[in-house]
Amino acid sequence: MRTAKTLATVALGSAVLLPFVGAGTAMAADGDVMANLKPVALNGVDASGTAMVEVRGTTIHVTMAAMGLLPDAPHAAHIHFAAAARHECPSAADDTNKDGQLNTTEGGPAYGDIVVSLTKTGDTSPKSGLAVDRFDTAKGGKISYERGSIEVSPAVADAIAKGQSVVVVHGVDHNHDGKYDGAKKSDLDPSLPTEATDPAICGSLLAAPSGGAATGAGGTSSPTNTGLLALGGGLLLVAAGSGTWSARRARARS
Amino acid sequence: MNPPTQHGGRRGALLAAAATVVLVLLAGVVIILGLRHQGPPQPVAAAAPAAPAPATPAPGPTRSGPGAGAAAPTTPTTPTAKAPVASVDLGPIMRGSAPVRLDVPSIGMHSSTFVDLGRAADGSIEVPTDFAAVGFYTPGPTPGQFGPAVIAGHVDSHQGPAVFYRLGALRAGARISVGRKDGSTATFVVDRVASYPKARFPTTEVYGNTTSRAELRLVTCGGSFDDRSGHYVDNVIAFAHLVSAA
Repeated sequence: MRTAKTLATVALGSAVLLPFVGAGTAMAADGDVMANLKPVALNGVDASGTAMVEVRGTTIHVTMAAMGLLPDAPHAAHIHFAAAARHECPSAADDTNKDGQLNTTEGGPAYGDIVVSLTKTGDTSPKSGLAVDRFDTAKGGKISYERGSIEVSPAVADAIAKGQSVVVVHGVDHNHDGKYDGAKKSDLDPSLPTEATDPAICGSLLAAPSGGAATGAGGTSSPTNTGLLALGGGLLLVAAGSGTWSARRARARS
Repeated sequence: MNPPTQHGGRRGALLAAAATVVLVLLAGVVIILGLRHQGPPQPVAAAAPAAPAPATPAPGPTRSGPGAGAAAPTTPTTPTAKAPVASVDLGPIMRGSAPVRLDVPSIGMHSSTFVDLGRAADGSIEVPTDFAAVGFYTPGPTPGQFGPAVIAGHVDSHQGPAVFYRLGALRAGARISVGRKDGSTATFVVDRVASYPKARFPTTEVYGNTTSRAELRLVTCGGSFDDRSGHYVDNVIAFAHLVSAA
């Protein structure tokens, strides 16, 4: 089966890359990342969403909400990453077969391989990448998804925390007939129409900004205060001078 | 110098002593005025050193987890609370649409000048260059989408108050409405307003998903102003959640 072979290749590729990915860092860092999911170029989906991932060691917690997807149809969703990928969503320039649409393979150079399958139940490894019966079916075009305790490798946890992974939700009704169909077969599984697996919305899981916000110049606080303090200090100095003078005069008289 | 006569010398010494007393008193008054805080309004309570939990969680899904409470980094989240779930209620959620108007009637704060913010080269959040503009953090959710949308504005310019000057006067229960590009309005209710030292900025609470619903964060500066760094030492942050989409 070709799907299995493709996924096995993906998994093997990831395994080979892992030591290099993790080389710089001994331990996966904790972090919170989020993605603003937007329509994938060329595929004409009017949907949007957000995804948030907490990384704690090698355990991740994923929460995702999306709307505007093809209703009542399975939408495979994954976290993608590859060390060699661009860590971003694909652009129109990634349409290598020039058919005016982006399929999942064409997006590979941008977002890499599947590293986590965002299934509702059961396995979450890349092996479940096309487990269509375990993904959300977007009732009313909406997905509300939350799943914790997902175990990933240290390298994957590290890549996610660093903001290098990408969330992709698949399933595009190119011909707007309300279902996945069409003569064109999926690049991932020839038993499925390409509509069922083409990327619909996508977003990079980016790390939150570090530290605080520099949102003040001090015009209503400091200058007045320091000015007054300096003036007070100056007055004290003058007072010390006059006090010394009068004390000396008093001593001179006695 | 006058030749010191006994009379003149005494008068001079008395005058100098009196002047000294007056000067000391005057200096005291000026210093007290200088120390008195005259800056922008501040939240009633500063944040506790440990990450505070949302003061009054509104009805809706909440969950315990890192950042939601004073969680020790070594304490893993309870696995049972994070067991796989089929579909969850994330509360009201809107489609993605950029903010174009901000209204906070209770403190008279309004703006329709928005600029996009991202992450600066040093990893910190960018801030508007225009003191009258509010900045929207574009890598995050738009106001009304699931997760915390972040809007930052200056508390003051070099000369005087700026767009978020009165943010510290905002109180829990107040309403914030955000007009969006698609013509809709996202209405939020304030959960709490707190001040945090920038050195211990609550990154997870501000940018992370601690409540599993659509939220809003308004961020500005507060506390005392550090002349040497040219920055305020605290951030004042308002935490709010979505109550209606229209």
